[in-house]
Amino acid sequence: MNTEIGAAIEARGASRYYKMGDTTVHAVEDVSFSIARGEFAALLGPSGSGKSTLLNLLAGLDHLSAGKILVAGRDLSTMDSEALARYRRLSVGMIFQSFNLVPTMTLADNIELPLRFAETPRAERRDRVHELLTNVGLAHRAAHKPTELSGGEQQRGAIARALANRPAVLLADEPTGNLDSRNGQEVMTLLRELNENMGVTVLMVTHEPALASQYARKSLHMADGRLIEILEASR
Amino acid sequence: MIRQDLFELAARNMRNARLRNALTTMGIAVGVASLVAMLSLGIGLQSFANQKLMKSGMFQTVFVSGKQDIRNMQRNAENDADNKPEDAPVLNDEARKKIAALPGVEEVVPDVRATGEVVYGDKTNFTLLAGLPMSARDEDAVENVKGRFFSSANADEVLLQRDFAKHLEKDSDSVLGKTLTIRYAERQAGESSTSFSIERKEKQFRIVGVLDAEPFGGMRMISRARVFLPTQTAEEMNLMQPADTQQLVRSTPGERTYSMLTVRMKSAAYAEKVEESVKQMNYSAYSYLDATKSIRRFFAVLDMFLGIFGSLALAVASLAIVNTLVMAVLERRREIGIMKALGASDADVKKLFFAEAATMGLIGGVMGVVLGWIIGRAINFGTNIYLSKMKMPAENLWTVPLWLVAAAIVFAVLVSVLAGIYPAARAARLDPVQALRYE
Repeated sequence: MNTEIGAAIEARGASRYYKMGDTTVHAVEDVSFSIARGEFAALLGPSGSGKSTLLNLLAGLDHLSAGKILVAGRDLSTMDSEALARYRRLSVGMIFQSFNLVPTMTLADNIELPLRFAETPRAERRDRVHELLTNVGLAHRAAHKPTELSGGEQQRGAIARALANRPAVLLADEPTGNLDSRNGQEVMTLLRELNENMGVTVLMVTHEPALASQYARKSLHMADGRLIEILEASR
Repeated sequence: MIRQDLFELAARNMRNARLRNALTTMGIAVGVASLVAMLSLGIGLQSFANQKLMKSGMFQTVFVSGKQDIRNMQRNAENDADNKPEDAPVLNDEARKKIAALPGVEEVVPDVRATGEVVYGDKTNFTLLAGLPMSARDEDAVENVKGRFFSSANADEVLLQRDFAKHLEKDSDSVLGKTLTIRYAERQAGESSTSFSIERKEKQFRIVGVLDAEPFGGMRMISRARVFLPTQTAEEMNLMQPADTQQLVRSTPGERTYSMLTVRMKSAAYAEKVEESVKQMNYSAYSYLDATKSIRRFFAVLDMFLGIFGSLALAVASLAIVNTLVMAVLERRREIGIMKALGASDADVKKLFFAEAATMGLIGGVMGVVLGWIIGRAINFGTNIYLSKMKMPAENLWTVPLWLVAAAIVFAVLVSVLAGIYPAARAARLDPVQALRYE
């Protein structure tokens, strides 16, 4: 197996099994792929195909049952929970279909949260939060609670939060799934801008092939826990 | 996560469930209050007792007597067959000087007691006279004297016991400044070294004070006396004393001896050593030191029980903390999942819950100390109303020392953090994938 030089994400025979009673569910089985640094990739498949489980594995939220996942050359399968937390804090950012902003915190507080975990100095933190909010066009909404924001604003806020510690990789789990088309468009445009201008590697889970073909240059197709097809759009 | 962030987040979380956290914190406050109330009562009673007993001078005092003393003979014979009373040294002036030279000794005074007839106006009373040393000035009963204490160590002045003063005048305070005459028996050197003679004498004294309470907490023989004169004056009067007849028949007649010397030390700390030294000089010595030891033991046990009862409420409060935090874990499942996804480690999550528990403990502890103090003041107030109804002086039975305040708060925080162990572990264990699953 040849290691692609400069790969942002690389999976080698990655597998995740669950025990459910007497049966073993093969949520992800023997998945191998690689995504180059600065790539915008999509992970496609019907629901239950294992794409969210794979994304959780890549995010360091779940543990591999077999195989390896390397992100920026570092092997997640050998990390203990402390190292995984550090990895989640600094190396990847994650956004969700349901945004997952903490409802009791203002937008600014939400964005500050990963900076607190990273023990960023306070003065620097304030500037960074402002910068992030400005980047996603929400500087005027800083003091609002998530419930006072539109879905699109919430997701843009979530993106700002995911990028707080300047990760190299952004993992997006159906980022437009809860948004209307206009807001969805806005969020996708933002992701593309971040990818193109800041060189952030993006891997987006979606079940909309149209969305994938519009934004991603590489599409990974999953079914029944296996990777069945990798499509690469020509430049 | 740095500590400041931890407590900022903890405070925010507590504000979000304000009522629940406030109630739990009040629970801790009540627990701490009961602990503080109980313990400060124990401490207060102890210091009250100490103050009273220490002020009596009892623990700074060793009583020395010769072993020839008849009262001691039987006791010694039982305990110590080799110690023959007739061989024992005499408690004379030489012994008095030796004892006075021991380290820590402030004063050695003889126990002067004699019977005498007191003539006041047309009233004549046969009563017991006693010498009162100048050091008795600091003593509780003497401190509250009506009138004043002796002006000097050899003044011709007397203090009267209240009952006796009442006997002399209906309005007992009106005896102050008046004079009385004491008829007494003076011991004079005899014609030979084996005899002395006794002669009746009279001496005038000015009444300077009336004592309401008995000197030495009523625990010493001289307190039975009704008329007190300065010990030095009494010595100079060469009062014939009950023990003088014993002296006459002993081997060293003519010499001035004492039936008992009261040794007063600079502090109670010297008592044990002085008592030991005196015993080595082959005199009998007695102090109330042993009594203090058992009193201290009593208060240690009392404090322990008060502490246990006080802690019960705090134990109940700690269960409330467990309950509140477990609820918070359930309620904030998703939030914990988000925090973990954003890079919070298990330790961060755990610390956050500990911080919340500690914050409740700290606030509850501070509130509890204040509450306990108020309860204490109230009890003290009530006690003093009762005491004043009983025509007794107000007392401070309530002591909240600074160390108790600090210890109570630290204890409250500690108990709260202990109560936080289970909820914190549960929060840290939470699987972020499960917690974040789309609902």
